[in-house]
Amino acid sequence: MHRWRKLGLVFNPLDHPGRPWLDGFAQAPSTVLLDDRIRVYFSCRPPADADGSYVSYSAWVDLDRADPTRVLKVADEPVLDLGETGTFDEFGTYPFSVVRDGDLYRGYYAGWTRCESVPFNTAIGMATSRDGARFERYGRGPIIGYTPDEPFVMSGPKIRRFDGTWYLFYIAGRLWKVVEGRPEPVYKIRMATSADGICWTKLGRDLIESRVEPDEAQASPDVFFHNGRYHMFFCYRYSSHYRGREFGYRIGYAHSTDLVRWTRDDGLAGIDISVQGWDAEMISYPHVFQTDGRIFMAYLGNEVGRHGFGLAELEGELT
Amino acid sequence: MSAPPALRWRKLGLIFDPDEHRLPADCIGWAQSPQPVVFEDFVRIFFSTRSLDAGAPGKFVSRVAYVDVAKDLSQVIGVSQRPVIEPGSLGTFDEHGIFPMQVIRNEGALWGYTCGWSRRVSVSVETAIGLAVSHDGGVSFERVGAGPILAASPQEPFLVGDGHVRKIGDTFHMWYIFGTTWRRYAADQEPDRTYKIGHATSPDGICWTKDEGRQIVADTLGPDESQALPSVIEVDGRHHMFFCYRHSSDFRTNPDRGYRLGHAWSDDLVTWTRDDSCAPGPTAGDWDSDMLAYPSVFECDGQTYLLYNGNAFGRRGFGAAVLLC
Repeated sequence: MHRWRKLGLVFNPLDHPGRPWLDGFAQAPSTVLLDDRIRVYFSCRPPADADGSYVSYSAWVDLDRADPTRVLKVADEPVLDLGETGTFDEFGTYPFSVVRDGDLYRGYYAGWTRCESVPFNTAIGMATSRDGARFERYGRGPIIGYTPDEPFVMSGPKIRRFDGTWYLFYIAGRLWKVVEGRPEPVYKIRMATSADGICWTKLGRDLIESRVEPDEAQASPDVFFHNGRYHMFFCYRYSSHYRGREFGYRIGYAHSTDLVRWTRDDGLAGIDISVQGWDAEMISYPHVFQTDGRIFMAYLGNEVGRHGFGLAELEGELT
Repeated sequence: MSAPPALRWRKLGLIFDPDEHRLPADCIGWAQSPQPVVFEDFVRIFFSTRSLDAGAPGKFVSRVAYVDVAKDLSQVIGVSQRPVIEPGSLGTFDEHGIFPMQVIRNEGALWGYTCGWSRRVSVSVETAIGLAVSHDGGVSFERVGAGPILAASPQEPFLVGDGHVRKIGDTFHMWYIFGTTWRRYAADQEPDRTYKIGHATSPDGICWTKDEGRQIVADTLGPDESQALPSVIEVDGRHHMFFCYRHSSDFRTNPDRGYRLGHAWSDDLVTWTRDDSCAPGPTAGDWDSDMLAYPSVFECDGQTYLLYNGNAFGRRGFGAAVLLC
């Protein structure tokens, strides 16, 4: 089993007032390494509107490379504005995953629209940046959209490049399950590959078998290559009553040598909820990164990141 | 290339009025976007009709049914007893109706290209194109999947729909529409949409490559022209496309801004030359006096026919015209 030493809550949005779009939440952390700092992209929300509905933005916070628990700077504005009327990302850009490509930063994100019969739908878009701070859309529509076996809720993109090939790990909706009159989304981890990061071929099957129930929802497929194999940390939850401790998100783990066939073994994840504190109810949206010989996991705690994200550091090896 | 002689049509009048027949599944009217398949003894014309949505008062769900007519379109033989495809499941792209569904013969079966509708909050609707297959002559269709085969993409951000497929040589061609804007023309009005005709190709009719974001037919009403329902046929070695077009605002009840039939021709399936004079126009005092919409062109027993809807988007059904040689 891996051993993660928790370093506590590192970024709490309430500590950074004066940004109306950052009223709460710091969800789905993902990193890019800069010279002296770690840029952590995250997703956040302004206050809810009169109907109680939220929009979401993505932004970044820079952490000190020498001491990643230390915040250096927070973005003054989101990385992207919301999409125009009727587009796939009119009501949100969340999560946001960035990779460097030469002089360019490419961000892959889920765009949110609002629906009548179900609360929302999502599809995956792409945006580029020269400075990693503000991004421009590649197009007004999604780069990964709906297909016969991935009919809705395309979300949670994680962009990676291995051996010259682009990989996008993401989730695709399987079912809107009505629980006590309320539609709840069930989604599974999927993958697509590309030669250029723009034109994608979907693999067309689930990467990770379901464990706690057939309708288990899986998210945040975070793939990290280390010691000769691919490690995926992800999160999963039950399909019903998942907003509390008992059936809420936990962090799972799988490994692979070819990125296609994965062996799930959650017992190796090595991180769980705490007895008390900001991550005592649930833990979710893991992201693993390495800096200066140390391996960290950024993750969310209670209420899926309402109170920000924290860090844990790997003790020993990732094998 | 030389300009072709204008095509001339003789109108056959209204051939199916839904109010004169019993419609399946509690459908209350409309027979929109007629889509023909020729059988040995009859023509089966699929159309979209409407039932009330029990879950959303005042809203409709489009259902696909068919009517069988004589091969010269002179009489109705019968109407389907039930819709040919069930509505999509919760949250899917075709949950709130299918309109239209174009049906072709392929691999010994009937393939239906559906335009699925699902309702949105900030705008009225989103659409995408699905595929469903029938092995019983069109009485019932099953989806190849819960999701679409052609949907929004970077340069076609919404409202992909109205797929019309023809196999030409070894290649499947699809003409379809994609949205370009949702715009509020007055502060107190809901956003109205504009869409244009695009083109995609496929080796198998399932996996498509778009000519991404390219509008293939020129506007005559300017950038706010909406173009819909392309339908393509070859006449004397030249490809002819019929479609309908309108202004993007104030088009529902203002007869000067509503749908008319448009036309374009091409010799290479890439460049299209618009010439609306080749399409029928309105007839004063008749069922198509104010509007002509949703054309579908086909051949049957050596004749070329054009099916289309008239006033009020097909509330009173569809009619036909025959090409004069």
